[in-house]
Amino acid sequence: MKILVPFKRVPDPATTIRILPDGSGIATDNVKWVINPFDEIAIEEALRIKERLKTGEVVLMTIGQSNWQEQLRTGLAMGADRAKLIVTDKPLDTLTIARVIAKVVAEEQPRLVILGKQAIDDDSNQVGQMLAEILGWPQATFASKLEIEGDRCTVVREVDGGLETVAFPLPAVVTTDLRLNEPRYASLPGIMKARKKELKEIPIESLGLDLTPKLRVKELKAPPKRQAGRKVGSVQELVKLLHEEAKLI
Amino acid sequence: MSTADKPVVESAQHIRYAFTEEQEQFRTALRRFLEDKSPPLEVRRLMATAQGYDPAVWRRLSEDLALPGIHVPQQYGGAGFGMVELGIVMEELGRSLLCAPYFSSAVLAASAIMNGATEEQKRDLLPDIAAGLQLATLAVTELDGNWDPRAIRLKATRAGGNYLLEGVKSYVVDGHTANLLVVAARAADRDIGLFAIPADAAGVARELLASMDPTRKIARIEFKAARAQLLGDSEDGLNALSRTLDQAAVALANEMVGGAQKLLESAVSYAKMRVQFGREIGSFQAIKHKLADMLVDVELAKSTAYYAAQAAAVEDPEWPAIACMAKAAASDTYVRTAAETIQIHGGIGFTWDNDTHLWFKRAKSSEVFLGQPNYHRELLMQRWRV
Repeated sequence: MKILVPFKRVPDPATTIRILPDGSGIATDNVKWVINPFDEIAIEEALRIKERLKTGEVVLMTIGQSNWQEQLRTGLAMGADRAKLIVTDKPLDTLTIARVIAKVVAEEQPRLVILGKQAIDDDSNQVGQMLAEILGWPQATFASKLEIEGDRCTVVREVDGGLETVAFPLPAVVTTDLRLNEPRYASLPGIMKARKKELKEIPIESLGLDLTPKLRVKELKAPPKRQAGRKVGSVQELVKLLHEEAKLI
Repeated sequence: MSTADKPVVESAQHIRYAFTEEQEQFRTALRRFLEDKSPPLEVRRLMATAQGYDPAVWRRLSEDLALPGIHVPQQYGGAGFGMVELGIVMEELGRSLLCAPYFSSAVLAASAIMNGATEEQKRDLLPDIAAGLQLATLAVTELDGNWDPRAIRLKATRAGGNYLLEGVKSYVVDGHTANLLVVAARAADRDIGLFAIPADAAGVARELLASMDPTRKIARIEFKAARAQLLGDSEDGLNALSRTLDQAAVALANEMVGGAQKLLESAVSYAKMRVQFGREIGSFQAIKHKLADMLVDVELAKSTAYYAAQAAAVEDPEWPAIACMAKAAASDTYVRTAAETIQIHGGIGFTWDNDTHLWFKRAKSSEVFLGQPNYHRELLMQRWRV
């Protein structure tokens, strides 16, 4: 079974993010870039499905600049078979990203598209759902367990108040939650093998899509700095402050 | 003849002076693994246990990252890389203080088998060690803790096709958890040979020793007519043992510089954060000087350790001498850096809650492990024929 795993490159969660003075984005100097952790779970799940079925192919894709190859190579080192980099230096909104992935789906014809439920940079949580709608495929979001039997897929979803089990026919789109698996680490033999695997760059213009964003980020702002606490002398004083200053009571 | 009359390093044209892109990528993956699996809290938990390591982490380290066999040739089940890659692993393990039987099994025992065993023995013993399924260790030192092979007294007496071991080994790293022991012993009161014996064989008694550095467990092992197998065709295994100890010195030097670098980062970070007299302590010249000296110290030791690994990887004729230099330099640097890191942390640096003492203790135990710096400087002089 062929599985397509689209992923996004994001700043390392351990990196301290600084917003540019004009609020147009984040400062990218000295930022370490990694595969979005939810997408990494998707890669791991795709590899596990392939290993369980003892057949198939795991294809990675991402959309970005040529130097995003590094993260694709990391995915290949984990064990994916080949990768596609849709090259662009323009910022894209979630709907355009879903359309680009749909184009790759049309070409690759995978039976399953599996991706993270959201990226940890903008937390949009939209691409998987939009992609399923564009393709007209069933979707199961927030997967914490996934089983494939023949041409059917069963997914346990984490929803408010419990777990929901859904079953649907393939092809389908699945988005991964945190507890689905623990991704493997790339070994040195894996890294060496990854250098020889196919990594194809495709200019985004060749897909023939309207890339005009429907969504525009107006400004990024850091949350206000936490103020230092204050000691009060008595309960009466505390109540007075809560009433008059904080206006909470 | 003065030292100026002869070339100290004869040929270094095949030595690489930088890591490849793949090696850096491997380091990144490994560091991430270790940050996830071996944070200081986990180090503290494991060092308080008798076993001293987490089998689940060991399994992932073996299965996901193929670390125990990183330098073992592929025909023996390893990944087929060399001393440089082993050095990267050691540096990252030293940085994270991972509590695991890696040095004992992958570095000491696997190297001893690769250097001393017959082809058939290698095929028999190495695959399980490389896969992390078998934990092995190398027993060299005895009650006096001397790493000089000439000090070995443990007797191996021929008995039919095997040998009977009689004597005591001490300060054996992970000797209490290893399944397989590689023992350096004196055969027929003359040659020093290498012998393999299952740890649960009759006549083997093991005792975990209390030590200053609980992150690296050591044991005393007593052999009473314990039946062992000679590794190799000859009772003379001195060359194999010396080569193993040199390789281990290179690996340990890389482990130590990993720890020293981590301490330096910790000291810099604290100096930038701790405010005293209305300003960060890192802005005081006294602290700046300390940190600058530490940086130079660590960088020099790192360069030596990296060079030793690269030289060993290409079998440069000078590499055994460079191994001694790297071990001596890294030992001194690690202890100095640990002491200065405690100083920069001030009062809190002396407390149990602060993590610095974990690396300080590792620095002190590594200083004597495989021989003190003076021993290695002496060996260096001998190898340079000074």
